[in-house]
This record gives sequence, C-alpha cells and structure tokens, in this order.
Amino acid sequence: MRIMFRKLSISTATLLATLGIVACGGDDTVGGASEEEIQVAEAGPVEGELTISNWPGYIDPGKDGSAAEFEERTGATVKYIEDINSNTQFFGKVQPLLDQGESGGRDIIVVTDWMAARMYDLGFLQELPQEDLKTVFDNLSPQFESEGAYDPEHKFSVPWQGGMTGVWVNTTEADDVTSVNDLLDPKYKGRVTVLDELRDTIPLVMRADGVDMENAGKEDWLAAIERVGEAIDSGQIRKVTGNEYTEDLTSGNVVASIGWSGDAYLIGRDDVEWRRPDEGCNLWFDTMAIPVGAPNTAAALEFMNFAYEPEVQADIAEFVQYVTPVDGVREILAERDPKLAEDPLIFPDEKFSADCVPFTEPPGDDADVQEVEEAWQDVISG
Amino acid sequence: MSVRRRLVPYGLLGPGAVWLALFFVVPMYFMGELALRSGTFTEGFTFNWEWGNFPDALDGRGGQIGRTFVYSGAATVLALLIAYPLAYAIAIKASPRWRLLLLFAVIAPFFTTYLIRTIAWKTILADASPLVDFLQFATLVPEDGRVLATSGAVIAGLTYNFLPFMVLPIYASLERIDLSLIEAAKDLYASARRAFVRVTLPLTAPGIVAGGLLTFIPAFGDYVNAQLLGSPNQYMIGNRIQSLYLNDRNYPEAAALSFLMMAAVLIVVLVYIRAAGTEAFMGEEEEAR
Repeated sequence: MRIMFRKLSISTATLLATLGIVACGGDDTVGGASEEEIQVAEAGPVEGELTISNWPGYIDPGKDGSAAEFEERTGATVKYIEDINSNTQFFGKVQPLLDQGESGGRDIIVVTDWMAARMYDLGFLQELPQEDLKTVFDNLSPQFESEGAYDPEHKFSVPWQGGMTGVWVNTTEADDVTSVNDLLDPKYKGRVTVLDELRDTIPLVMRADGVDMENAGKEDWLAAIERVGEAIDSGQIRKVTGNEYTEDLTSGNVVASIGWSGDAYLIGRDDVEWRRPDEGCNLWFDTMAIPVGAPNTAAALEFMNFAYEPEVQADIAEFVQYVTPVDGVREILAERDPKLAEDPLIFPDEKFSADCVPFTEPPGDDADVQEVEEAWQDVISG
Repeated sequence: MSVRRRLVPYGLLGPGAVWLALFFVVPMYFMGELALRSGTFTEGFTFNWEWGNFPDALDGRGGQIGRTFVYSGAATVLALLIAYPLAYAIAIKASPRWRLLLLFAVIAPFFTTYLIRTIAWKTILADASPLVDFLQFATLVPEDGRVLATSGAVIAGLTYNFLPFMVLPIYASLERIDLSLIEAAKDLYASARRAFVRVTLPLTAPGIVAGGLLTFIPAFGDYVNAQLLGSPNQYMIGNRIQSLYLNDRNYPEAAALSFLMMAAVLIVVLVYIRAAGTEAFMGEEEEAR
C-alpha cells in the first residue's frame, strides 16, 4: 500500500507539471453570441430524415399518430424525440452545439416563446421564409397572432401549442387548494411541488402575494424568490421540477403542484384536476423553431405547414389537450367529441382566462434579469 | 538486454498512456483553462487567470459540501457492512455451484442501466408504496413520514447503486485466502472471532481498501440519486455542478468547482490509503519491511 501511495503521488506530480506547462497558452473566447449573418431556412423537396425535439406527451403518438402520418404523406422519416423537460436545461444542453453552428441533427425544436426569442438573439435560430409557410399563416388563430410579444411577426418561430400555468390539485386530498398561497399551507408540508421555470413559478407567487405585476421591481421578484426559497428549506415544497412534476402527482406523493394545463394525459388520474388559481394564471405558448445547422430545413418547414392543417391539428389537440393555435379545430372536434370542443383548457374563453396574462420578463436590463435568474437558480439548486 | 527487450515495457504502457492523455490530461487542460476564465455567457468567457472562480464556487455551498461528505461516507460504510458478510458467504460458505449463481445475482442489476434502476427506486419508495406502509407499520418511519425526498433515501440509493463495486473486490480477496491458515489459527486455540479478526480480516484488507475507493469516489461525485430520490435539501456538490453548467451557464465556476471536488476526493483518497497502509491490520506487509 505504501508503494502504491508513492506511485500515486509521483503520477499526480507529473500530471500537475504537465498541466502547468500546457495551461499557459490560449486566450480565445468560449461562448458569446455569434456575429455571423442570420440565415433563412431553405424550402425545397421533402425527403430524408426529419428530427424533431419536443416535450413529453406533446403529440399524438404511435402508428396512427401525426408524425407517422407525415411520414406516410411525404416519404420522409421522422425521428421524434422527447428530450425537452425544461427550457433552461434544454438550452444548457444544446447551447455548446448551437454555438458551433450545429443542432445535433435537430431540424425542429419546440421551446417556449421567451426562450425562442433568447435563442434568436444569440443567433441560434434560422429565420422562417413566410412565403413557404402558407398553411401556417392561413390557419393561425388570431388569438395567437396578437399575443406573440416575443416574436410578433413570426420571424423565427410559429406556435406549437399554447397553455396556461396554474395548479394541479388532487381533489380527494387537497380539494381546498385554489390559490398558489394554499401550496404553502403547513398541512400540505412536503406534498407540493413548483416548477423550475422562473417565469412560470415566480409571477404566480407574486400575484398570489398581491404584488402589482405591472409595476413590480427587481426587489419584488427577489422577495418572491426568497419566499419560495424558505419554503424549500423548511421542506414545505418537496421538489422543484420540470415536466416530471406529473410523476409525483400520478404516484400520489404530491397533492398539489404548479403545472401546465394540458398535462392531464401525463398525470393520468381522474381525481387530479387543473385549476386556474384565484389570483390568475400565466398564458404562454411553445413555439416551433429551426435551429442553426438543421440538416433538413425543407422537411422542417413542410412539417410546420402540416401541423397547421386543421385535421392534423385536431388529432394533436385531441391528444395533448393544450390550447391549439389553429383555426377550425374546434369545429372538427365538435363533430368528433363535443365535450372536448367545450373544454376551457383547450378553448379557453375570455372569462376563463380573464385574470391570466402572458409571461412576464423580470424587470430591468440584462444584468438585472441575470441577477434575478441567478438568485432563482441558487434557491432551487439547494 | 536487447534494445527491443528494453522497449517492451514502454510498448505495454503505450495504449494506457495514450488513453490517459486523450481522455484525462487533455480534458483536464481544457477544464483548467476554463476555470480561469471570466465573463458572462452572452458576452463570452475570456481567459485572464480568474482565480476568484475558486472561492466563488464554494461560496454559500457549505450545506452541499457537508452533505456530499456525509452521504458518500455513509454509503461507503453501509456498503462495506452489507458487502462483507455477503462476499464472505459467497466466497467461503457457498458451494461452488451456488457461488456462481450468487455472484451472478450481485452483477445482475448491471444489466439494467443505472438511471432506470434509480428511477425504479422512486416507485418502490413512493409515499403510498407497500414498502413504506410496512416501514410505517414497523414504526421505522413515522406515521405521517416518508422515505422519498429524505437523506435516508439518497444514502440508500447511493449504497444500492455502488454495492457491487464493494462486493466484488472483497469477494476476490476472500476467495484467494488459503483456508488452512484459518484452520491453523483455530488449532492454535484462537476463537472463531479471533481467527477472523487476526487472520481473515487482515488478508482481505486490500479488497476492503479497493472496494472503499470504488464506492466512495463515484458516490462522492454522484448527483442522480440526490436528484431523483432527494429534494433540493438533499442536493450534493454534483447537483450544483450540473446546475452551474446547465442552468446558470457559468462554465468557469462549474469547472472550478469540479476541480475543487476532484482535489477533495484526491485528498480523502490519499489520507485513506495512507491510513490503510500503516494500520496494524496490514500486519504482513508492515512486518516484511
């Protein structure tokens, strides 16, 4: 053993010396926005393989699913992967690739509107040729047209599905939860979760606290983050999750969660329902975008058109039950399943979403936003 | 000695050295260089000997650092307590036919990936699972208590996942023991206990030391168990590094923290090997000097 120790220390010394010698050079920069010209996605004949990165449970799956139908119709092969669980984590994962002008083979990625805007600003997304997206713009619901605060002209993104952030409640065990404040009720200690997306969780907490979002400053955001942080430390909040919050609701570990309106299928329990909190909810939409380095932009553009055909979109809406961005779907669903056509989670009327507002960005300049985001990461990483 | 013969050892070392250079030294260089950069993600990170990343990486992370030592240490000790009797039974008590089957059973979990196995524990330890009901019935867990999202669950997960790394080296050293040595001890009026402490245990010390290292080092850097079986109050250093990379995108600080973690492991390992090497139970080797 002694001998082993000595050998080990020799090799360590050699290693450190080697490091010392080589670590002296090089001052090139890692990361940073690329200054290359933004390219426009090219249309063309549809063939080859189309790779789509999406969130779990976000398309009708299987042999009769929409991806399979696209294959059948165009002859392209669709590689549909569900590798997005949270915007920030996905960004962290693909950023080094995108920074090199590569997408890891992805042709379409589905990220939330604010994240698409951030990616575009960094030069990570291709622009969309509007003339090649005829079906999209013919059928895009006016409601989605006007709300695109992050990309009003659909320069680099088109909506995939919309939704609302509110609370999922287990009605047998926590029927009295109607506000985000109720999640902090001591009787539910260790049985509630919140989302790890800053823009989902914190504005809800602030509004529940009576903060006027229009005039909220950085301090209000930091105070709300602090409030969540204390609840995590005390064990009141059991976990801070991405899309996997549905698992704990399914297994009954958790009785109430901040979550997204269309995840009923993933949760798969009749006694767990989505509620719009008393103080209102968040409205958002996830968008399809084409990353730089996408190998098959022609098929990607065609898929966007395909997803906007009302018949196809009706299949998707019927399965995912989020807010659909396509006009004419309600009429089709009314024939297939009248109950779905009346579901306020798929077709929220103005009354239902009255107190709901689009995502709010943290206030201030880039440095302020970063400070808030870092404070949030500090709180949720334990 | 011919030139060719003198070159043989270098030739044998070659593949290993190339491997080490490619997959250890080169990445270490890039990581070291990254750890000394400063800047922001959007503006880019520039190399300027930013040593401040190192104290920054530790700042406010006392809880996670403490937990990392406690959890990985506890998992190593628990794994030893479970693995030794198990390896002993397989190597010494079991018949040759059973031995193979039992060894297979130890390795069998590896046929499923580590991630899937840990996720399976989420189901096994769920609040309403039969196991937790039983533990509550046996008053090992309070009536309104839970197992998932506690330190116990994380330590149990680490112990479970790295147990085979403890069993196999101990088994290997037990299997090599010349059983007549134990018989001789008994002939010389040693009690079974004394024979075990004075003969068997010292002879298997190398297996224990190797098993301890193979368990402790991966457990120390693990973040999957804390992520899946714990809550933010159980997060370890590995979780912080992951979050620095993926969420904060503060690559320099993440690299600095990784280095500090490696240094911590290295120190622990060196102290451990030193202690194990000078301890009296290494009798044979010590006396030989």
